[in-house]
Amino acid sequence: MSAGKEKGFWSSLWDSLSSVRLTIPLLIILAVASIFGTVIPQNASLEEYLQVYKVTTYKILKILGFLDMYHAGWFFFLLALLSLNLLVCSLKRFRSVLKFFVQPEIRLEEGQWKAISPSRKVSQPLLPEKGLTQIQETLSRVFGRPQVLKAEGSHHLFAEKGKFSRLGFYFIHLSILVILTGALIGLYFGFRGYMNIVEGETTDRVALRSGQQTHAFGFKVKLDKFNVSFYSSGAPQEFKSTVTILEGDRKVLTEPIRVNHPLTYQGISFYQSSYGLANVEKVVLTIQDRNTGKETTVPGQIGTRAQIPGSSSAFVLTRFISDLRGGGPAFQVVLSEPNRPMETFWILQYHPEIEASRPGRYYFRVKEIEPQYYSGLQVTRDPGVWVVWSGCFLMMAGFYLAFFVSHRRVWVRLTEKKGGTLVEIAGSSRRDRLEFEKELEKIEQAIKGIFPKGEKELKKREDQK
Amino acid sequence: MISAKMVSAVTFLYLFCTVLYINYLAFRSERLGKFVSLVAWISLLIQTTAILWRWVESYQMGIGHAPLSNMYESLVFFSWCIALLYLLWEWKLKSRAMGAFVMPFAFIFIAYASLAPGISAKIDPLIPALQSNWLHAHVITCFLSYASFAFSCGVSIIYLIKLNKQEKGKKEGGLTALFPSLDSLDSLVYKTITVGFPLLTLGIVTGAAWANYAWGSYWSWDPKETWSLITWFVYALFLHARFTREWRGRRTAILSIVGFVAVIFTYFGVNYVLSGLHSYA
Repeated sequence: MSAGKEKGFWSSLWDSLSSVRLTIPLLIILAVASIFGTVIPQNASLEEYLQVYKVTTYKILKILGFLDMYHAGWFFFLLALLSLNLLVCSLKRFRSVLKFFVQPEIRLEEGQWKAISPSRKVSQPLLPEKGLTQIQETLSRVFGRPQVLKAEGSHHLFAEKGKFSRLGFYFIHLSILVILTGALIGLYFGFRGYMNIVEGETTDRVALRSGQQTHAFGFKVKLDKFNVSFYSSGAPQEFKSTVTILEGDRKVLTEPIRVNHPLTYQGISFYQSSYGLANVEKVVLTIQDRNTGKETTVPGQIGTRAQIPGSSSAFVLTRFISDLRGGGPAFQVVLSEPNRPMETFWILQYHPEIEASRPGRYYFRVKEIEPQYYSGLQVTRDPGVWVVWSGCFLMMAGFYLAFFVSHRRVWVRLTEKKGGTLVEIAGSSRRDRLEFEKELEKIEQAIKGIFPKGEKELKKREDQK
Repeated sequence: MISAKMVSAVTFLYLFCTVLYINYLAFRSERLGKFVSLVAWISLLIQTTAILWRWVESYQMGIGHAPLSNMYESLVFFSWCIALLYLLWEWKLKSRAMGAFVMPFAFIFIAYASLAPGISAKIDPLIPALQSNWLHAHVITCFLSYASFAFSCGVSIIYLIKLNKQEKGKKEGGLTALFPSLDSLDSLVYKTITVGFPLLTLGIVTGAAWANYAWGSYWSWDPKETWSLITWFVYALFLHARFTREWRGRRTAILSIVGFVAVIFTYFGVNYVLSGLHSYA
């Protein structure tokens, strides 16, 4: 009894896993869950969450794993279930597809002829044995090389095209497993880190994104120089970190890292991710006295009070921003003139016209900056990435086969009829039936063309009898 | 800029085409049909010239790049893809009945580009993240897939209208007289999705490849990425539902419309409602 029950359980489990009926709710759940993941901020800080949610809501979301949803156990479980579902589905249906490759049906049973109907009929004056070679050649020419089966009373020809399209769906489904495997390899054997490195600095490790650990490279990385250039509009044009890789004290290579152009060394890749100002080493300003028209250049320093030459006015550069709202480098200036209230304003290196529109005696411009930058580099190692790309490639090949190639099969049967041959032609196509009908029509015409007057001759023979 | 003026002209031409296609359904005049197709092809030609001319203009400004880099340019390209795809199908199927429901999409998106406040027609230089050859492959595949889905959505709407009319037992006639049979509409919905789905996949894959070069990660669950995956799930659902033959006709037509809503949210919603890395368009 219990054994039977158990078998019932396993076979019903197998049935649900092998059913596309499971795929549909799984896809719906994954889609809905992913929507939640884009609405609820992921991996934010406690303060950010408490600005949006009440404490109890926050706790519930945390317990349910909605705050780092895409790495939550239940999300992995859904993906695993989907993988299992498509694996079992594929296995279950694979045998019937394998048949197309291992033993194609060359000879159709009588019932199958009727099922495919209507078959096309051509009459030939030659006996099947004599006409066979010509029909074989004709079929090779207009469709594809046929396989031939000679049987008692009838001969059978079978030709097919695009049988690999049967594998398309397996390629697509298999590719999802390959991609997920690649992702797992990356997750367990790779790492992702981020580092800010100041010009001139050298480091041999990076802080990982997950947790407090660091990962040692096994070599050293030195940031020689960071350059940022701007378009005339002030929008950034290029971020470039020039780094040197060192093995011990030996310089191995010096290469630039730009956005979209990472540097990879020993499987570890460095990506230009952000930058900022560590220090302004030197600033030179040009100050024009509007009363006299005289210009003077004044060296400055952040936070240090400087006198405007030949006057009793003074200024302090209080802040520096390397990119003020997309307008490029900017300084905040606090200007104190005798008998006037203190004035605070911004001067932008690439937009002197903003400062020019400020009324007042002195007109400030940035002549030169020598900043010391830090560069923010994303550092990753992902040995699974090539597995993911092969999965993607397999998927695209699968789509091509499944949606754009059609498995077309043509059967030709020759039977003796009144001293001649009755040629029957039937075909089946998985897609584009209309197109295929045209192809069949072509085959029929070509076979008719072997003996253009075949039908007439047969008729004549019959009349003579 | 000349190209922007051409885009404005095309906006009005597409509106004109939409009106003509609706009139064609009402009056079923072959001469009117030929005329509207001619106007549509001419509009597409002007739009093609506008896109190419904008490319030339960017080189004249010394910041040459393909016109595929911001909201304005992507909207114009999206509209172009829809019109092109529709006209090719019209030519192949020799039926103009779908124009009244597909051309409005081409009109709406180009109108949004040229009329909506906050969408600038200015040609800006490429920021570092966009300076990559992946830009072309990614944008072209994505918008061709979006256009196929727009087409599929239009046909689904026709399907539902026709089905509704048949179920109410009304006589075939009036505006729905020219529509193909329910079966051929259903198979057209399916066919356009079998074109759109591989293209969407290719769009996601090229995006992932690009992200891997630019950000060091092919997938980071950024809202744009996630929503493209949600859209992918919806169309995967469509294909499986249709494959099992459990869902057909009305339900798959509705699913195709839901899919296009997901496309629209991936395209606009993510930028306006959610924030993320993918902030260009």
